Amino acid sequence: MAAMDIRGVQRPESAFSGPNPFQPVAPDAGADGLASPASKALSVSAAVDLAKGALEGIRVTVLGEVSEFSNRPGYKAVYFTVKDERATLPCMMWSGRYRACGVDVCVGQKVEMTGRFSVYAPKGRMNFDVQSLSLAGEGRLRMEVANLARRLEAEGLMDPSRKRPIPVMPEVIGIVTSPRGSVVHDMLRTLRRRFPLSRVVVAGVPVEGPQAARAMMTGLRAAYDAGAEVILLGRGGGSFEDLMPFNDEKLAITISRCPVPVVTGIGHEPDTTIADMVADLRASTPTAAAEAASPAREALEEQFSAQAAALGRAVRTTMSQLCSHVAHVATRPVFQDPQALFATDAQTLDYALSRMARALSLLAVQDRDRVASLARRMAASIPRNLERDRSALALAQSRLASVAPATVARGAADAERSGAALFRAADAELERFGHGLALSAARLHDLSPLAVLARGYAIARDEAGGVVKSVDAAEVGSPLSVSVSDGTLHCTVDAVEASRHPAIEKETA
Amino acid sequence: MNDDAQKPIEDLTFREAMDELDAIVALLESNTLELEDSLASYERGVALLQSLQKRLATAQQKVDVLMGELVVDVTDEERDTTLS
Repeated sequence: MAAMDIRGVQRPESAFSGPNPFQPVAPDAGADGLASPASKALSVSAAVDLAKGALEGIRVTVLGEVSEFSNRPGYKAVYFTVKDERATLPCMMWSGRYRACGVDVCVGQKVEMTGRFSVYAPKGRMNFDVQSLSLAGEGRLRMEVANLARRLEAEGLMDPSRKRPIPVMPEVIGIVTSPRGSVVHDMLRTLRRRFPLSRVVVAGVPVEGPQAARAMMTGLRAAYDAGAEVILLGRGGGSFEDLMPFNDEKLAITISRCPVPVVTGIGHEPDTTIADMVADLRASTPTAAAEAASPAREALEEQFSAQAAALGRAVRTTMSQLCSHVAHVATRPVFQDPQALFATDAQTLDYALSRMARALSLLAVQDRDRVASLARRMAASIPRNLERDRSALALAQSRLASVAPATVARGAADAERSGAALFRAADAELERFGHGLALSAARLHDLSPLAVLARGYAIARDEAGGVVKSVDAAEVGSPLSVSVSDGTLHCTVDAVEASRHPAIEKETA
Repeated sequence: MNDDAQKPIEDLTFREAMDELDAIVALLESNTLELEDSLASYERGVALLQSLQKRLATAQQKVDVLMGELVVDVTDEERDTTLS
């Protein structure tokens, strides 16, 4: 820091026309009776007053480092000294103002204060009357950070209930840190060693300087968009000022609103940034952050072998329990002596059998007796029946013998009568038939052409055998056969003459 | 656990496989299964275990650089070769 840094010197007109009656001009010009015009010497009071008048009214802002500090109870003001490499400035601050400035001044702090010079005449001492004071440099930064932390805490951003659990075996792990330097490689190496199954997405961003906070916010967003289930925000150690991007309010809000847990691994203890405070987990270093987001490979392997043992043990337990159960069952009497299973039934069966046998033989005797009785009865009844039938038959026979001759005789007489009647009837019928026959024969004889021929008629036939009934049927010279009663005459037609009576024609041979 | 919709082990994520293995161990230890089921569970558990161990042993970390340019740390590679 340069020498006492006077940022502003105000010399308002009022400083000269106000209550201060002195002007930094030649003493003779402003003689007020305090100094004798004859003598050039001033009284002490006048001299101090002159200095007072010259100094007071100069209002400046001073930056320096506190080197001594005294705040005694009961005093109306705090007294301290601010210095730089070449000068020291005694300061006083009225207690009321000191309390109002809100700074706990302590030795070594850089402070920025505004006030005016004053001179304490009784001691001839110059003081800087501090009207307002604030921390400067890192102290100022720290105070601002502390104020922001208080504010964010009041808003609940650091509430323990907001802290989300870190996934045990994230498939995608995001890293937001500088792409240069050892930090990113420490983290990658740690993840590779512990949990190579996860995919790592790296957002390489500046972590220092005025652009860093905004770049880290973009990096967080990119890592989340790439599917990260947890995001590691890392940075190596550095001065308080170097870490200032991690105290950015907007970054703090981004972290608190990040949809997935954020683990910070920033610098080394005891530096705690706002980012650390709002993160879901604060790890002391980048490597520790990587460890927090990944399962220890050794632990996993141990877990696997424990599970392998548990699997085998569980199955062996089940098996041995089942085996011992089976063995126990096998010792039961029923399996030791299978006969016992049927003993009762077998005895029951035997008993039943013997009862049955007894019952059967009893029945057999009864049946035999009954058959014998039936046989006897049957034998007794058969002859009796025969006797009865035989006598009935004899009776019928004798009755038949007494009735038969009369019946036969009557039948014979009837037959004889019928036969005579029949003969008589037949004779009468024959006679009637013979008479009719003779009549018919006579009539038949009368009708015969032969009988006509016998009476002298003849029948002429032409060569074809046809009967010649007209003169037209025979030509002169044609042969004719003429049948008469006792033979035939073969003739030739000599002449043809039609008769007057065509019905009658006479041929001559 | 003994659903017919048992996913093939290679389709499970590491975490799913671990969860299922945990469940199988718990189920077997509860000793409430039929012998056949417990043997089937045991087989599945062993297969899961082998798959998990193999995955862990053979995994190669994949690193995607979203922003910035990752400057390779030479000493990192050296350390790696001396470690493994």
